[in-house]
Amino acid sequence: MSARSPRSSLSGSSDVALDFAESLKDLQQNNKWEISNLTTIARESTEHAQAISKALEDHINTAAPSKKLVALYVLDSIVKNVGTPYTVYLGSNLSSTFFNAYRLVDPQTRRAMESLFRTWKEPIPGALDRQPVFTHKQTSTIENALNQIKAMDVKRQPPMQAQYGQRQVATPPQFNGQFAMPQMPPQHQQPAQYYAQQPTPQQSWPPAYPPPTPQHVPVAQPPPYVDVNSLNADIASLISRIQARLAVNHGDQGLYTQLQALQQLQQLMNTGAVTGQALQDVRNKVSGLAAAVSPSVAPTPQPHALAPQWPPAQPTPQPFQMPLPVPQPYQPPQQVSLPFMQSQSTAAQQAPPALFPPGALNGLQALLASGNKPSTLQMRVAAPILQNASHNQLSNVQNNIAAAPPNNPTDLLAALSKSGVLSSLVPPRATPSTQPPVVSAPPPQSTASLLQSLSSIFPPSQKGTPTLPPAQTAGHGRPRIPMTTAELKVFRPELVRALYDDQPNQCSTCGRRFLATEEGRAKKQRHLDWHFRTNQRMADPAISRGQHRQWFVDEFEWITLPEFDPSTASATDTVNGAAAQKKRQKGPQDQFIRAPAGVTRFTCSICQEEMKSSYSDELQDWVFMNATYYNGKPAHATCVEEMKRPFGGAGGSGVGALAAALSGAVGQRQRSSTPESALGKRKAESILAGHGSKVRNG
Amino acid sequence: MSLPGLSLPGLGLQLSATPVLGGSAAPPAEQSPRREDLPPRSEWRFETSSSSSSSYHARVLSGHAELFGVELAVNQLYDLSGTKGAIFTWQGCQLEFMGDAESEYAAEETEYAVEWLSLHGMLETFRDEPANDGPRVLVVGSDSTGKSSLIRSVIARAVSSGRTPTVVNLDPRQGLLAPPSSLTAVTLGSQMEVENGFGISPISGPTVTPMKTPLVYHYPYHSPTDKPDVYKAIVTRLALSTTSRLEEDLKAKQSGIILDTPGVLGVTDGKGNINEILHHLVSEFSINVIVSMGPERLTNALSKRYSVAKGADEAIPVLRVAKPGGLAERNEPYLKQSRARYTRSYFFGSAKESLSPHSHSIAFDNLVIYRANTTSTGSGTTSYGADADDDYDPSSDNTTMSGTSTATFDKVAPSVAMMGSLIAIKFCPTNSDEDAIRDSAVMGFVYVADVDEARKKVRFLAPHPQSWGNRALMQASSVEEVYFASSLGRPAWQYRRQYDTGGDCDVESLLAGWIVPVDE
Repeated sequence: MSARSPRSSLSGSSDVALDFAESLKDLQQNNKWEISNLTTIARESTEHAQAISKALEDHINTAAPSKKLVALYVLDSIVKNVGTPYTVYLGSNLSSTFFNAYRLVDPQTRRAMESLFRTWKEPIPGALDRQPVFTHKQTSTIENALNQIKAMDVKRQPPMQAQYGQRQVATPPQFNGQFAMPQMPPQHQQPAQYYAQQPTPQQSWPPAYPPPTPQHVPVAQPPPYVDVNSLNADIASLISRIQARLAVNHGDQGLYTQLQALQQLQQLMNTGAVTGQALQDVRNKVSGLAAAVSPSVAPTPQPHALAPQWPPAQPTPQPFQMPLPVPQPYQPPQQVSLPFMQSQSTAAQQAPPALFPPGALNGLQALLASGNKPSTLQMRVAAPILQNASHNQLSNVQNNIAAAPPNNPTDLLAALSKSGVLSSLVPPRATPSTQPPVVSAPPPQSTASLLQSLSSIFPPSQKGTPTLPPAQTAGHGRPRIPMTTAELKVFRPELVRALYDDQPNQCSTCGRRFLATEEGRAKKQRHLDWHFRTNQRMADPAISRGQHRQWFVDEFEWITLPEFDPSTASATDTVNGAAAQKKRQKGPQDQFIRAPAGVTRFTCSICQEEMKSSYSDELQDWVFMNATYYNGKPAHATCVEEMKRPFGGAGGSGVGALAAALSGAVGQRQRSSTPESALGKRKAESILAGHGSKVRNG
Repeated sequence: MSLPGLSLPGLGLQLSATPVLGGSAAPPAEQSPRREDLPPRSEWRFETSSSSSSSYHARVLSGHAELFGVELAVNQLYDLSGTKGAIFTWQGCQLEFMGDAESEYAAEETEYAVEWLSLHGMLETFRDEPANDGPRVLVVGSDSTGKSSLIRSVIARAVSSGRTPTVVNLDPRQGLLAPPSSLTAVTLGSQMEVENGFGISPISGPTVTPMKTPLVYHYPYHSPTDKPDVYKAIVTRLALSTTSRLEEDLKAKQSGIILDTPGVLGVTDGKGNINEILHHLVSEFSINVIVSMGPERLTNALSKRYSVAKGADEAIPVLRVAKPGGLAERNEPYLKQSRARYTRSYFFGSAKESLSPHSHSIAFDNLVIYRANTTSTGSGTTSYGADADDDYDPSSDNTTMSGTSTATFDKVAPSVAMMGSLIAIKFCPTNSDEDAIRDSAVMGFVYVADVDEARKKVRFLAPHPQSWGNRALMQASSVEEVYFASSLGRPAWQYRRQYDTGGDCDVESLLAGWIVPVDE
């Protein structure tokens, strides 16, 4: 099966990828023959490299932990034996692929993965190309994260064992399982990640380490240091703030229960019963609460605002919603690019938008993880999304769980699904989740059916779409702070969080931070490119010598100067900015093309004179001025302009005939579809004929 | 010198598994590095000497740390020589230091940091409100109260939050992206710098951080109270340009403006009234938030004027924000040195982005130089009619070309006395009237290197190779001379003699003459 020839089903990328994925599934153990077979398939199907890479990534992400390593060996074999374009496709998600596997496997496999990873930083042994397998850029994130994990492992291993047992007893239930959320709002696009974020007691993975998102690994995120004193102070100030608000709203039961919980927490803290990781969790919780409790709270789509709070001691059937006094003056931008949402809207037309509020199952899981068979009432309280599930369904869950306490959210989901709470369960294909395939689940169906079944159980949130990530600046969930001198003195950890943790994607060169969103990643990529270009130029003595300061701009220019950050601006931004700045008609001599990396000279495809690149201050990049692409070849813009001018008189036909004859001799050339003067074009092509390769290499 | 960019992955500097250190930076001193663990919400205060022999470098080994609101990247070496400041951490961090400091210690009295952070939060709240047109903040306080530090940190945090705030420096004694004696406005769309604060103004070459483009005006006196009418006129012009710009760019408008003021405006008079110039600023920039860092007396005066007596619609909140705990006394020698650094870096750049100034030799006949008149008689020509300040001696040593003793600016003939002074090139042509010259923005600054009275030529040191053409030049009142001369480590007369004896030296030797003292 695994040896299936790709040629038998070359009808399209999807088929090839599907075959490939099937073959991958058959791959049970480290079998050299099967791996080299898969590599051959990949080599012969490079035109479907993207689809195959995707299939491989999906497989690594979804395979059972025991099979992850061998799947990674397939990846390794492909990138080393085939190379591009697989290195490009697989390299882009390399860190998330790697870490999604790394975090689930046992220590022994981790070591194997680490040694595998080390070979990626080296050139292929014996190969002529001395480039490493993956570029330094691609491996550095993994590198950094691995180093941090190691450092953290050393530090954290001993206390962790003790503290988990302790947490079950010591921490009031509302702290179970919900800590990680307020800290990382940009990550809710994919609910699946949430399950992964939970500190599951059985894993030795330090939960403080933010799990990798599918597209990147948050590097440079050492575990925040938890200071007991400041935490105590925060709790105290929180208590006093809640008390103050209670004084205003006497009847507010929610505030009262919060207050009770906090006071209990304070007692616990004072006895010193909370340490290590639990302390970290408490801190996150307290900051989250502080954000919610600050004098006027805007309702936000952030999870901590939606996550239900409930009293620690006496579970009430109704989940308590945070008081939401001030109407939110701004609307969070609608994020439609979620794969989760898209698949849902295409397949399940009527499904309400909210399926899994982030962390909806956290409470339930924490409850179940305690090992005791919980009552259905407790379950409902722990996971308010189960409010509408029938008692029978829940007791089924109980029984299933009692048989085998769930270790992780996936198991929990499996148990839920087995009980008929979820009619079917398949890891969504669109989300590179970390769940192993659930064997006990009913026959796999489409993602859509899963979503539909989930949505039938979980009531849609009144807020609409809680899975929406917060708005662009990560701070739109922030509280409104009135402008008074008294408010100045209140420490708000959420402000610090907005500046640090909410923007986990940090440039290691200048410390600049980016959001963990798709846009943030793209910005960071451009930013790193900018650093690279800048450093390249600064290292070049011919450029960096003899620089001078520019004159300052005059008032008109300054007023019309669009402020954009050249270090993160995309090409279009920059060009638009430059265009807006000029505000004048562009002549041909103002046209330019960006210099491809490493290319400093072209030959004009029309006049055959050399074109040299120059540095544009406006664009902060190397460009060829007075240049354009003519039939895909660089040429002087003025030459092109000249050629497009109609030829005068009878001479035109003669030249045209000559050109036609010449172009016939040249044979078939790819023609641009843009309508141009036929004469000029033919002439250009005829001249180009002998120089095409020269230009291309130039 | 640290070159942070060199550690970029793309450069192929794969320094194995250990985190990449600060580029190719060599440890600046022979001393072994010292390590310091800071608990959360504490800071490391340092004052370093600005003498060229000593250096002071810091590196964050773990955790998060920031300097004036700008986060330090982990494992990058930062050059903090010649500065005073405090590396603050919210989360705790481990730092490493190399080199000498005049004083350095850890401190946990950091309540001010909470207030500064809260101020940032308040401004963000304000910016989130679409009904507001963005916060327009006036920061007032006497000298050495931390105004500029506060502004740096508030601006840095706004930029980190994705804003493009505008900062306006109205203190002519400090330079913001321009040499001292200038009043500057700049909209910040890209990150602030740890070492340089607001970064660097455009140069022709590559820069380690994105360049910032300021709009520069010239106030040729030491203090706003020297010539209140001139100051007010320039402020009006600056406010006009700034608000016009913000109208063009709604994002910048929503991000708001922050005004830095000279300490002299933070002084109340005997009857508890605020300085009239301050009121001018409030109305010209339509200030809607006032931050007082001065004594309570100032805060009360501001509240009385803008907050208490007004109705709810017109009242401007007056916030009293704490001074930083480790506030360094910025005495006059320190300020002088820091001004000298600004001036020098305008021409010569920094260690990372070194610049070559150019020499321009211009005949007397082609020059029109105005000199700021420090006599008290000049104030009558403008419409403000403020009281003339007669604390200052009339300048005695300058021969005025014409008898315009009542004018604010006198046309002066080039003379040897001009050597060593900084002259502003205005955008306006030479024959503009006085108000136009006063209000005109600055194209650049030149330094008078040599005046050859026999051959009727002036040699300027200019930042740019291009000639500035027919534009008015403006010489400040005498204070500037000291700056640049001392910035090169030698009094001005030494240079003068060097060029006197050198005769007709060419550009190369002139430049060599300039550059040698800097490097030594």
